[in-house]
Amino acid sequence: MSDNRGSLLPVYVLADESGSMTPHLGELNKGLQSLYETMLTEPMAAAKVRLTVVGFADDVVTYTELADLRSEYRSPELATRGSTSYAAAFGAVLNRLPNDIGKLKGEGYRVHRPAVFLLSDGMPNAGEDWRTPHRQLCDRAVTPAAPNIVACGIGGASPEVMLEVASTAEFALVSKPAADLGKAISSFFVALTKSMVESGRSLAAGNAELIVTKPEGFSMAIDEV
Amino acid sequence: MSDPYEPEPRSEGLGISDWERHNGWRADFEGPATPEGWPQPQPEEPRPTPAQAVPPQPHPQTQPGGAPHGWLPTPRALTGPVGPPPPAASRADAPGEPTVPDWSVLEVGEPGYVFESRPPEGSPYRPDTVVDGWSTDLVTMRLASIRGYGHRYHGTPREDDCAVAVHKGSGGVVFAVADGVSAAPQSATGAALACRGAVTDLLHQMDADVPSLDWAHVVGTAAWSLVARAAAGREPESAYAEEAERLYATTLVAGVVRPGRYGIPEVHLVQVGDSGAWVLDRAGGRYRRLLATKDSQGTEIVSSGVTPLPRVPSPLAVQTVELGPSSVLLVGTDGFGDALGDGDGAVGRLFHRGLAAPPPALGFAHLLDFSRETFDDDRTLLAVWPRHLLREPRR
Repeated sequence: MSDNRGSLLPVYVLADESGSMTPHLGELNKGLQSLYETMLTEPMAAAKVRLTVVGFADDVVTYTELADLRSEYRSPELATRGSTSYAAAFGAVLNRLPNDIGKLKGEGYRVHRPAVFLLSDGMPNAGEDWRTPHRQLCDRAVTPAAPNIVACGIGGASPEVMLEVASTAEFALVSKPAADLGKAISSFFVALTKSMVESGRSLAAGNAELIVTKPEGFSMAIDEV
Repeated sequence: MSDPYEPEPRSEGLGISDWERHNGWRADFEGPATPEGWPQPQPEEPRPTPAQAVPPQPHPQTQPGGAPHGWLPTPRALTGPVGPPPPAASRADAPGEPTVPDWSVLEVGEPGYVFESRPPEGSPYRPDTVVDGWSTDLVTMRLASIRGYGHRYHGTPREDDCAVAVHKGSGGVVFAVADGVSAAPQSATGAALACRGAVTDLLHQMDADVPSLDWAHVVGTAAWSLVARAAAGREPESAYAEEAERLYATTLVAGVVRPGRYGIPEVHLVQVGDSGAWVLDRAGGRYRRLLATKDSQGTEIVSSGVTPLPRVPSPLAVQTVELGPSSVLLVGTDGFGDALGDGDGAVGRLFHRGLAAPPPALGFAHLLDFSRETFDDDRTLLAVWPRHLLREPRR
């Protein structure tokens, strides 16, 4: 007998924890904390979202797995280290996505196409094949639950790479030149929070699947190429 | 242009239908099993004195940041001070006075967040809940349209709407339910206009005794009513269709239940968007989906895209079905349909029990207002039973 507990939007935050983010670690953790605090005040929207936070550098650290933010009072503390392996980041999502979808379905939920929000301040490691796991992740023949990927580049991130990473051109965003990186990180989390709240509310009304808010001080990567 | 909110004056007749008179259903029919959950006549018990009476106790279950359903709302979401539960004396039953029933929201599985509703912003006036219910010679009808918990929480209006009327000449029951698209800022108005446009057109066609109902005309009239509103008194030409879609986009299911062969009620439906219709088998509790909706495809990932009015799909999704003696017709927006799913879950079981026989109209609305986490959308549901299920004497 199947029970129907409603539909959820799985959200994955891929946060760049490479060494170059060290000066901005405070903003990174503060932004994440603000996201958690806001979602506690939006229980209706939070009920429809499950958050996974993955930090990536040379390797990945999964801080939360499908967290229900109605009852999460402490945000994780990210920590910087090493270089920028997009291969590790996309590989991690690729590996866990089928299990995550299966787990939610097993609990009686229907699942909307997941959303991945990537925040990175630099170029992916040179000589590393990140495109293969990325392609597998985005290919709906390989990954039926292929996510919508929103790529936000700050500092040294290249608009061209963000365009390659994002699932559509309008989901590729870069901070404006000379923007303060700390403010850009804060803006990213403000926009991420708004996107999660609006998407959660929209799911309640049975409408759009993912609403993406452009962070303040960011522009479309396609305009920068 | 006439006020779209003005209800159409319609009359109805009550009495024994020819079908029942000739087939003797009332005599043969044992009467439906009394559904669980509805108030039953109870033998009189000694009433407690005020000193003995126990005030309603909060439900033991608690939720983060909120109180359980019942008398005690959550303080955080209230705009004013939280009142205590009514004093014991007011709940106690004085001799000869009626018992105040338990108004607690029905909880299905894990309930949703509990709070006191915010008033909806804007105009025209949109009540939180609309309830209707009556019987004709042919059928018994219950209808409710309820603001979703999400809209109640955020102080936004109900975007669903509905309309139902009796066609005097044929005794047919004409209805429409609509779900305004949230992205359209005035979709509540769109839903109201579409429902009234569709019902009015169906009544006109039935007045004209057309050999078969023109569903394209019904949908076209509903779409036209949105475009006419966007035109605001100017000639409603196609140039206003885009504006109508931006402001008033809405789904629609419209239809009629009328006497068919041998007097068996026959249902005709048309659909635009993802509102749905089902036939509930009262005996087995199975739900038969009459119209495709977003969750009927069984795909890995659920998609919620709809093509609403004023766009008119081609071909139109139409359906005809007989309403057998053990069947209940359900027509509802996705706020109900999503929670129902395939009907095999807890919501399906609740409505099977609750709709085994026509409940009181207010009880029908109470049932539809159930709480289940993640199901926060507006809910509109029309239920139609063959007339024989009511026990009351005919007038």
